[in-house]
Amino acid sequence: MYFAGVDIGSTMTKVVLMDTADRILSAIKGPTGPEHRQLANEVMRMALEQANLQLDDISYIVATGYGRVNVPFADAQITELSCHARGVSSLFPNVRTAIDIGGQDAKCMKIEKGKLVDFVMNDKCAAGTGRFLEVTAATLGIRLEDMGNISLKSTKKIQISNLCTIFAQQEVVALLSRGEKLEDIIAGLHDALASRVAALARRLKIEPDVVLTGGVAKNIGIVKAMKENLGFELLVPEEPLLTGAIGAAILAKEIYMKATAEGETISKRARLLEKATFFG
Amino acid sequence: MSDKSKGLSKVQEIYRNRSQRAKELKAAGKKIIGYPCVYVPLEMLTALGLVPYRTYGDIREAVTEADRALPTSFCPIMRTCLDCDLKGKNDFLDGMVTVHSCDPQEKTARVWESYTDYPYFHFIDMPSTVRPEAIEYFKSQLNDFRKTLETFTGQKLSADKLKSAIKAHNQQRALVQQLYELTKPVPPLISGIELVQVVKALMSLPVAEGNDLLTQVIGEAKNHTDVPKKKPARLLIWSSSLDDTDIMQIFETKANVVMDETCGGIRAYRGSVKLTTDPLDGLADYYMKEITCARTFRQATLGETKKDYAKDIQSRFGYLKGIVKEWKINGAILLLVRYCDPFAFEMPSLKDYLDSIGIPSTYIEYDYTIGALAPLRTRVEAFLETIR
Repeated sequence: MYFAGVDIGSTMTKVVLMDTADRILSAIKGPTGPEHRQLANEVMRMALEQANLQLDDISYIVATGYGRVNVPFADAQITELSCHARGVSSLFPNVRTAIDIGGQDAKCMKIEKGKLVDFVMNDKCAAGTGRFLEVTAATLGIRLEDMGNISLKSTKKIQISNLCTIFAQQEVVALLSRGEKLEDIIAGLHDALASRVAALARRLKIEPDVVLTGGVAKNIGIVKAMKENLGFELLVPEEPLLTGAIGAAILAKEIYMKATAEGETISKRARLLEKATFFG
Repeated sequence: MSDKSKGLSKVQEIYRNRSQRAKELKAAGKKIIGYPCVYVPLEMLTALGLVPYRTYGDIREAVTEADRALPTSFCPIMRTCLDCDLKGKNDFLDGMVTVHSCDPQEKTARVWESYTDYPYFHFIDMPSTVRPEAIEYFKSQLNDFRKTLETFTGQKLSADKLKSAIKAHNQQRALVQQLYELTKPVPPLISGIELVQVVKALMSLPVAEGNDLLTQVIGEAKNHTDVPKKKPARLLIWSSSLDDTDIMQIFETKANVVMDETCGGIRAYRGSVKLTTDPLDGLADYYMKEITCARTFRQATLGETKKDYAKDIQSRFGYLKGIVKEWKINGAILLLVRYCDPFAFEMPSLKDYLDSIGIPSTYIEYDYTIGALAPLRTRVEAFLETIR
């Protein structure tokens, strides 16, 4: 039997296909696209192709993430908080605190025995999210994926005092014209973002093991800054973008197995491999 | 027609078109007095034949006009209330009464008075603790309110008139308490969305008409079969004001909302006003002590020198313990309206109290607009997943 997790984030759509033994058969990441959520079916198609499976071969599909509602080929929706918690604990069984920094939100989850028990999320603001880095990278004229390595060369601590993305952008321009080095500015930006997320996480009691996930965890400079700001060692999955989709696939299996064990008929949707639409 | 009760259909009609009845009454010669907060003693308006009409903002309307007068990083409820008035949406009102229930309302009152043109405007000052001196001071404020009302109406507000108005409003309180009894069964006989509609309808009608409507809704609800479906969670919603069904919908998609502590809900209807020799004594006492809004601080003991936190939160939130048990509540959502300081300050202690009685809770902040409900939905659903 096969199960699928579809994580439609604000920036990236991720699909993971798994078998009953939680082995990953395929994992595909694609942009969510400017037309929100419209590429989900494409990402799903690629994942099926890679695993050499048809949509009907999948016993149960859970959709998660910002675009989880109205995915025409999903059987159930579960929030990204529960899915991340489940996905992270499958990779790191001793996890107690998980921090996920995505394209437009940051969240901190308390996990007990693999289950989400409490959480906090950022408020409606880009500070402390991937968008903060995207905007400032564009201002600096560098690629987002180069920020981490450049920041490691920093020798001088620069404090970015503005946490608002727009004001930080102006501050960066001012720093550049003052002749500050690129690597120092980027390290300063990383520290600003990390301090914001760490403050959010401290609203819950942070306990080890602490795991960092989300697209922003791919930035080595952020991982370093988060360690410094939290005062804890951080574990980062090999592919930090996928924990939500992995968790969704595992939860799909668990829901399906529990229902069949209890002799219930699974209510599967008439699936259509079509574009996902927005919240009704 | 479905099994939906006639009373509830009437309620929904009023909810959709709130000002219609007030406009009819105005055409028939009645005077309509707006109020944006449940701390205005409506009994005093009713006693003089005035029709109280609760004004709300509009979560669907972008605030534009009020920005001329108020800062933007400021209570969004007061901003939208004033905005609606400045846009002429409440032009049928003959007057407005506001109260110092919180600082934004007090500051807005001054602006309101100078930017709008109602024939009658009154601001009631109100202390924020329940010390005896505070209640005495509040009574003096109610006396001032009485005087401006008498001048406005040209009538004397006699103790007898006031007492009979108090009786009518007490009857409304008793009826609303009966209405909330309907959410005790599993599944409840009335939904949280319907409760919002009923209360909003009540706050648009003269008290006697509201009482008739309530009697009908309660009478019919006991028999109708079109009841909410049983959901895994039975929630308490705590908020400053929750007065729109689209917001309530977010909670009720995957849970039954069976109790609230909001001023779009039961807050204005708990307990009853004591009929004292001078009726203003009973009113002052009720509004200071009985309405459980975060704007009033109910300290445990007067004159204590060292604070006992457990005793303190018991005295502030202890009334919830029995409610949680009787309504079989298994989760609470603390819904903060952005920039609402009184509720933001109250929230951590309330969370501690709910923890102490074993009720999981989560707090969610929103800016009192319909715009970004998706993040709100995610937080609510994730919370429900943790208590499942």
